[in-house]
Amino acid sequence: MIRLTIDDREITVPEGTMIVDAAAQLGIDVPIYCYHQALGPLGACRICLVQVEKMPKLVTGCTTAVQEGMVVHTRGAAVDKGRKGVLEFLLINHPLDCPVCDKGGECFLQDYTFQYGAPAGRYDEPKIHKLKDAPINDFIIIDQERCVLCQRCVRFMGEYVGEEQLLLEGRGVDTVVATVSHQPMDSQFSGNVIDLCPVGALLSIPYRYKARPWNLEREESVCPHCPVGCTTSVTSREGHVIRVEGRPVAGRNWGWLCDRGRFGYDFGYVEKRLLNALVEGREMSAAESTRTVGRWLDAALTDRGPESVAFLVGGQQTMEEAYQVARFSQEVLPGSRTAMVRTVEGYLPSGLNGSFQDIERADVVVYIGGDPYDAVPVVHLKVRERQRANPGLKVMGVGAYELTRDFHGAKNFTVKPQHQAAFLAYALAQAGTKSQAVEHLASQLGTYVPSLLNPVTPEEIQALGRTLLESEHLVLLWDGKEPEMESVLLALRAAREDATEVLPTFGPSNWRGWERAGIPAHFASLQTIIDDAAQGKISVLFVVGADLLRDYPDREQARRALERVDHVVQVGLFLPEEVQLYHAVVPGAGWSEVYGTYTNMEGRMQVAMATVQPPGQARPLRTYLNSWAHALKKSFVLESEWDPFDDDSGDFVPRESLPELRPVTVPEPSPGTPPGSLRVVGFSLVMEGGMPSEILAPRVPRFPGRISPQDAARLGFSEQGGELQLEGTMGKISVMVAPDRRIPDGILALPYGIHGSPLNQLGEGASVKAVRLEEVSLG
Amino acid sequence: MLEGVKALAKGLGTTFKALTEPRDTIAYPEKRREYSPRFRGKHMLARDEDGHELCVGCGLCEAVCPAQAIRVVAAEAPTEKPVSWTNRYSVDYEVDLIRCIFCGMCEEACPTNAVRLTPFNELAAYNRLDMIADKEELLSPPVRR
Ligand code: SF4
Ligand code: SF4
Ligand code: FES
Repeated sequence: MIRLTIDDREITVPEGTMIVDAAAQLGIDVPIYCYHQALGPLGACRICLVQVEKMPKLVTGCTTAVQEGMVVHTRGAAVDKGRKGVLEFLLINHPLDCPVCDKGGECFLQDYTFQYGAPAGRYDEPKIHKLKDAPINDFIIIDQERCVLCQRCVRFMGEYVGEEQLLLEGRGVDTVVATVSHQPMDSQFSGNVIDLCPVGALLSIPYRYKARPWNLEREESVCPHCPVGCTTSVTSREGHVIRVEGRPVAGRNWGWLCDRGRFGYDFGYVEKRLLNALVEGREMSAAESTRTVGRWLDAALTDRGPESVAFLVGGQQTMEEAYQVARFSQEVLPGSRTAMVRTVEGYLPSGLNGSFQDIERADVVVYIGGDPYDAVPVVHLKVRERQRANPGLKVMGVGAYELTRDFHGAKNFTVKPQHQAAFLAYALAQAGTKSQAVEHLASQLGTYVPSLLNPVTPEEIQALGRTLLESEHLVLLWDGKEPEMESVLLALRAAREDATEVLPTFGPSNWRGWERAGIPAHFASLQTIIDDAAQGKISVLFVVGADLLRDYPDREQARRALERVDHVVQVGLFLPEEVQLYHAVVPGAGWSEVYGTYTNMEGRMQVAMATVQPPGQARPLRTYLNSWAHALKKSFVLESEWDPFDDDSGDFVPRESLPELRPVTVPEPSPGTPPGSLRVVGFSLVMEGGMPSEILAPRVPRFPGRISPQDAARLGFSEQGGELQLEGTMGKISVMVAPDRRIPDGILALPYGIHGSPLNQLGEGASVKAVRLEEVSLG
Repeated sequence: MLEGVKALAKGLGTTFKALTEPRDTIAYPEKRREYSPRFRGKHMLARDEDGHELCVGCGLCEAVCPAQAIRVVAAEAPTEKPVSWTNRYSVDYEVDLIRCIFCGMCEEACPTNAVRLTPFNELAAYNRLDMIADKEELLSPPVRR
């Protein structure tokens, strides 16, 4: 620890702290452009000049580490003169067009010029003109004249994200920020440069000219789109959400968002948004619909009893809403059942759930099943940050295709779909441990020997097992596809001396929260309800927030269920697929319209404020529950808001003790895919299958499916991709696919929830005959 | 009694004296006063010589207004028909003349000299909503007779 004095106040900080950070701890604001704690010092802008006694010249506070006994002055004649000079240089070629600049009012160039700058410029010569208002992708516009060349954007994309898509071009006064080869940026993290840019050089296109900081409201919120639950702040003006920004939380996250979270906020305003109730094909007011639904419920209760009523929760409901459903089911209709709509069958006991802090400590990170970049993008950044801090970090992938992107020293084990649990069990057994849990697991494997799709030696499998068992800080990211994996993870935990931390990357994003609110999370609960419904045992089925046909892993069974139920009532933001199967669709209110708590993949509960009013007739869920209860002449009083927070575990949902080990199914030796066939693997992609968004539309991949380059060549596709026709038991469907070098031959990776849901029509792991669809010539 | 008569006479004396004095009031609306050229009345939005709107919708008037009487909604200026001299303009510009205290801060804050207070001061309406001047109205300022 180092003691120093800043502006006559003493402070003790760890060695290596920069002066600006030490000052910030004292609440002293030193101006900054280029420095960012996550990116490290650079010293490009010189605005952070401070005076250090016994140093001959002013020094930059962001590149000078503290030293014992240092005496720093952050203000004073010399410092102010220095900053004034720096600002004068920065403004020489600046267009001074604040009135038309969206950053106006929240711009650090304005702020510091007011604080330290000269009242007037002395520069009369013509200014240098550069590119203005030029889009660098569908979301971001650049104004090179306003840029102060701090390089935050360039360094963030290059060093931090590892996708070098921005660079400095030119020399001297002609230096500009530009995209590589002047191609649009397509990184999933591009939007962060808007937050990072301290001036108005990089601005958001959807927010363009929409508001000024003084006429908008900002509320703290949480991104609802994926299980990461990034902290955001939502900007609204006149009752409309117009912007989402990252909200850094000190000591926890930097406020990075992916483009899904940053720009996908317009789902409340898209054309598809449900504004009126639709009952048996007739539009009516929400209030009228509750009477009809009440009648159905009443009839179901008298004729068939409460057992014939079930509630399915999905989508983006808050924990409070899930709790209301659970209470409604218990109190108003005791005997009715609830479940949550899941896309994958796996379950993770809360006792195994790790947190993001574990990634910050990790020596080994193992991706199981899916690539976090696709499913939980910001976690990819967290793992990258860990590798920057600890270059020895081992990243390993166990999945049906290569998962680890460009991590240094990454190792992939490409395992056939549905073999991953068995493979990991095998690897553990090979590691030669004395652990009972692992031996128990091994005894169930029999003679199973994995055959991998990429070249891997038996020694490497053994090494994997040992790494899993022996590394000190192990973090696993699991996509929830194979339910048997739960037992493997439990056994691993039992066999290890150190903690085993697992982060579930599967959705729905708030599932852990609903579980805490009392909605059963296991896939089996959902499956029983669906199967009962398909057998005609359900009279009234409420689907809250989910799109059952899109999300349920077996689309045919879900359709049968909907067809056999007397009355299906959907509460949601949008019309579900095949709306004719629903008897009533009533408009619900969602994120940014209702206050509520969301639990992320760490099991951390975070509160999102309501910012705007729901549009049209859309009502919060509790309004419907209340009026349905009223229609049944039952009392349903939600006196107070439920408080989900726990005294002992604070922000985290309480961790429960671990369940018993269950047997691992050993996959049948699969009969090798016949030539011309592909095996289907699902993966989650944040850009697909969530809330509709017009802003994001240009970024939604045109070719969501992925096949190996060899398969693509065999099928006669160009490098760009094309339309693939699949034939299976369910008839013919076509999907757009593109070659991807990470996919092994014979595998077709499809995201959940894409249009037409090919995945849950085909079924996970199905083998399908695939042919290229002949180009239909136009005209 | 005598006191009373005295007081009455004195009072009436003052009254009759005032009758002959010059008047401070005028017969409005037949007659109107000359105001100082700096008089601050109803707002207007100015255009440049080519008829382009000067307002860029920066919202500074809105920010500075102590009575919160102004609402500005900016947007990208339409390109097919140039209404603005630059690529940003205000689609909506409203002044609530009931709230306005005619301090002239908006005028002072405006970087493009678009919003100006005219000498027009005949502000009356039967309806509160009519006292909210919209952009259309502000672009064609009334002339004081
Ligand atoms: S565009 Fe913004 S963030 Fe990038 S170098 Fe310029 S000022 Fe810095
Ligand atoms: S990573 Fe997930 S939670 Fe974070 S911004 Fe993207 S979609 Fe939202
Ligand atoms: S912030 Fe210190 S040099 Fe830029």
